[in-house]
Amino acid sequence: MFRYAVRRCVGMLPTLFVIVTLAFFVIRLAPGGPFDEEQTLPPEVKANLEAAYGLDRPLHEQYLRYVAGLLRGDFGPSFRMRDVGVSELIARGLPVSLTLGVSALLLALLVGIPLGVLAALRERSITDHGVTLLSSLAIALPAFVSGPLLALVFGLYLDVLPVAGWESGQPRYLVLPVVTLALPMIAYVARLTRGSLIEVMRASFVRTARAKGIPESQVIRRHALRPALLPVVSYLGPAAAFAVTGSLVVETVFGLPGTGRYLVQGAINRDYTLVMGMIVVYGSLTLLCNLLADLIYGWLDPRVRYE
Amino acid sequence: MLEIADLEVAFETRMGHVKVVSDFSLSVARGECVGIVGESGAGKTQALLAVMGLLPRGARVSGSARLQGEELLGRGAGALDEFRGARIAMIFQDPLTALTPHMRVGDQIAEVLVRHRRLSWSAGRERALELLRAVHIADAERRLRQYPHELSGGMRQRVMIAMALACEPDVLIADEPTTALDVTVQAQILALLAELKRTRGMSLVLVTHDLGVIAGLADRVAVMYAGRLVEQGTARAVLKAPRHPYTRALLDSMPRLDVPSSEPLRAIRGQPPDPRALPAGCAFHPRCDLAADLCRSARPRLRPTGDGMVACHRPLGAAAGEEGPTS
Repeated sequence: MFRYAVRRCVGMLPTLFVIVTLAFFVIRLAPGGPFDEEQTLPPEVKANLEAAYGLDRPLHEQYLRYVAGLLRGDFGPSFRMRDVGVSELIARGLPVSLTLGVSALLLALLVGIPLGVLAALRERSITDHGVTLLSSLAIALPAFVSGPLLALVFGLYLDVLPVAGWESGQPRYLVLPVVTLALPMIAYVARLTRGSLIEVMRASFVRTARAKGIPESQVIRRHALRPALLPVVSYLGPAAAFAVTGSLVVETVFGLPGTGRYLVQGAINRDYTLVMGMIVVYGSLTLLCNLLADLIYGWLDPRVRYE
Repeated sequence: MLEIADLEVAFETRMGHVKVVSDFSLSVARGECVGIVGESGAGKTQALLAVMGLLPRGARVSGSARLQGEELLGRGAGALDEFRGARIAMIFQDPLTALTPHMRVGDQIAEVLVRHRRLSWSAGRERALELLRAVHIADAERRLRQYPHELSGGMRQRVMIAMALACEPDVLIADEPTTALDVTVQAQILALLAELKRTRGMSLVLVTHDLGVIAGLADRVAVMYAGRLVEQGTARAVLKAPRHPYTRALLDSMPRLDVPSSEPLRAIRGQPPDPRALPAGCAFHPRCDLAADLCRSARPRLRPTGDGMVACHRPLGAAAGEEGPTS
């Protein structure tokens, strides 16, 4: 399995290369550049700036220089934030974003799976219908609605949690963002768990376990739950991507100093290197999550072969 | 040993109340093998799943099923778990889907012993090894640690049997144990069941649609049609001189070695009836060559004939004056 993981990691490189190449040229397709502002710069100044960042060179040359930099681990300078490299910005913001994303994913699993199990075991009961209804709501509500709502209730009315902001080492600031980001994921995980557990409980091997006199709680835990979690694991890849895109909104709503806002700001400002850096980071994270999902899949189902 | 009386199984469906088993009574003595035969959908499996309390929710079961005098029906799952796997065990048709895919087969066997005999897992696995040897699995140490998908169909069924035997149950119910296997493996599994029945004095209920299996293993036979018993008797008598036209038809529809293969098989004409709309009178009359007016209007009761029972107005082989059509 270790060899499989290593091989998959190596296999990610071509994928990343394609992502980098596509992103590089697509950004350039958008009209405007990093030094076009409402207040137009004197042409000489603009020409100087562009020369300094190599933007006056032909596009393919810029591309080759960027890729060469990447291979050395250099994401290049930010065009708009003076004196700061993109690598430094990422190093500053990524820990916050990762904490947010990973916590939200864990919360989604810890809450979503038990909810789904509960709904499945009481199929068509009030509990089941309640879970289904609430999960539809959680999926339908975008973070820019649920986030401020949660901030309003828990930050303002109840006054138990900070409305926004960040102080490192203070997990209180993470609670509302994590919950906001996790809500739709909890809902998806609960639905997937419910659906597949209902199906697995009708499987022949569950009947065998019952015929052996195994108490129902153990039938579920030992026999039914593992196969029922396979769809949830498959969802981990997309969920990771969702945690990333969701964090853009959530970090903005709660004013967290994560990397999400760099992507937005970078795109608005045509800060090419910053956007590229974020794309590389988010792309790698998504690929890694997919690999992780595949490895967990094999652990849950011994019939999966790594070849 | 096992006494089933007036068992009735019905399902609540969108189309209404559908009875799949009616008036089913059967007794199995210690060390006896009773075969239950009939076409698919005759209610054989449903009747035995009802005894084991394994029917899906929505099934309505009434009647009685006693294991050594103790009633099994109507118990909650928790109380039934004391019996299931320990004193009455069941093996199923397709051993691939009937085994948990992500558990090593040794653990699946050990689980029964951990549950009922309060063994530790390691002691359970040791005992599982002995059981695998008892059902003649070669290289048992290695097999113990394998997953079901790594075993052949015959080996999987042996694992199922080992699992069912783990606590030396009084009664073993085998639901089409050889249907999913190829012929040579079938013969091996049947020989194994025969051996276990003989050496352990276990009662065996064998559900099958294969009369050949019955001939080899069963002491007595019960024939089911459309949810009801239509004939019952010693295997020898029923197979040799069936009284019910349906049993006769079943026998005739079997391929035989002593008949030239150019001779077409005699299939039973028509289809098994839809349990939602059973024919009036004898449920078999639309497919029966001997059907008379009485058969279309009155349902025949199960009546004793010789050493067996038959539910037919015009039983076969009835000597003149013995059991003619009731007027």
